Amino acid sequence: MVRTLQKIGEDGPLVRPDAVEAQIDAALTLNPQSLRARLAITDPRDADHLRSETLVHLVRHGRRTGDQGLISLVLPVLLARCEANLIVKVPDGQLPEAATVREDILGEFSELFASDGTGKDPDELDFYECKFNRAFRFFRIDVVRRETGLLKHVAQMPEPDEDGEPEPHDEVFARVSEAFRSPAMQDGDVFRSELHDAILELPPDERDAVILVHALGYQEESDDPGEETAATRCDCTGRTIRNRLTRAATKLARFKEDL
Amino acid sequence: MTPTLTASPPELREALYALSIAKDVPDAALLDDIVRRFPQFGGELTNFAIAIAIDALHGDAVVEAAEAALDPNVLSPAVSRAMSRFQNRLHAVSEPTRLPAATDRSVSADAINPFASLSREDFRGFARRLDASSVFVAKLRDRQIEPDTLTPGFRKRVADDLHAPLDVVVAHFAAAQAGAAGPQFYKADGKPNNGGRQTFEEAVRSSGLSEAQQRALLAL
Repeated sequence: MVRTLQKIGEDGPLVRPDAVEAQIDAALTLNPQSLRARLAITDPRDADHLRSETLVHLVRHGRRTGDQGLISLVLPVLLARCEANLIVKVPDGQLPEAATVREDILGEFSELFASDGTGKDPDELDFYECKFNRAFRFFRIDVVRRETGLLKHVAQMPEPDEDGEPEPHDEVFARVSEAFRSPAMQDGDVFRSELHDAILELPPDERDAVILVHALGYQEESDDPGEETAATRCDCTGRTIRNRLTRAATKLARFKEDL
Repeated sequence: MTPTLTASPPELREALYALSIAKDVPDAALLDDIVRRFPQFGGELTNFAIAIAIDALHGDAVVEAAEAALDPNVLSPAVSRAMSRFQNRLHAVSEPTRLPAATDRSVSADAINPFASLSREDFRGFARRLDASSVFVAKLRDRQIEPDTLTPGFRKRVADDLHAPLDVVVAHFAAAQAGAAGPQFYKADGKPNNGGRQTFEEAVRSSGLSEAQQRALLAL
């Protein structure tokens, strides 16, 4: 029986997906030779491929039982997967010192395992036994935002005072919304990658308006004072949100041609 | 967005994990729900939800392909250094009360690591003052440089800057790499020597430093 997780979520203690739980149960019985063979499988479609959630559990198990051999076998494999993730998600050129940032993330992440069971958040790694990729996404974005926060102190420009009601730009944003709704597929990655870069180049106010309305699905504003909208989330008026969307639409206009 | 300059406090991390774990791409209902649970972090959660949504555009299919293409027999230098950080942290966590001993000249991995107690900001500050990269300082911290090749002037500069006794710094550099008694983590792009250590000059030349920075360090 696999050790239960300690971290408490909204509905009680976190619970691993059944498939993860079953794989951990089986992995704990493997001898080093069999485990090494399983760790060498890198294709996630292979039935014997060990999930990253399982690897996290094995490293923590090694840490709790003092099994340095198990840690040395499993942790480098997990870190190599993380490095592959980081090379894609924090590519050279996106940040001035992308290689250093990637190394920082990888190093900080490895330290989580050393600190497991100690400190202010002894059960942080529980998240990684449930949904590894999403948990690591948090970790990565958190460090990258800290790094970019050190680099960028963008002065807030005054909002242009535009008269009249902004024009709607349904064509542009229909394509944008569709990109966020559809699952990432290899053949759609070029478009999504270009859109990703274009959205990152938008001024923060415009970028936030586009994402809140067209990715997260907020209304621009509402007559209901109790309803959260893009305007309430950005602490501005609905008209300001529409102006920001209009300016963003001009910059994203080339994407409507893909419709 | 409001930049976060230091590690997020535990309660905020909890909220951000909850947001990130719940769905591939957050939607308004999820964000509203998490903000209700953590109302004090409404702004941070909104910013983070936006960051996640943008991140999701960079297809996970590419990440999966990159993972599938990994060579299980090759350990990259970055992974090797991360393993060293793990071992260093493990050592610090296991023996938190151990006091510095200026006379400790042991070459075991138990020598005090004067870098181990540096916070992230301290670490960065040290690199800035030395006019070096984090990669280079990580090599100092992780004992990845042949101790005999370090110049006396450089050792003294490190000791002065860390406000540590010179003996402690020298013992740190001379000590075995953490984890060296167990499996070795070598650079994948070269044959390891003496536990995978580089000479001082090699370390300077391969840490992403400008010509001027390299000259200044080697002249110490």
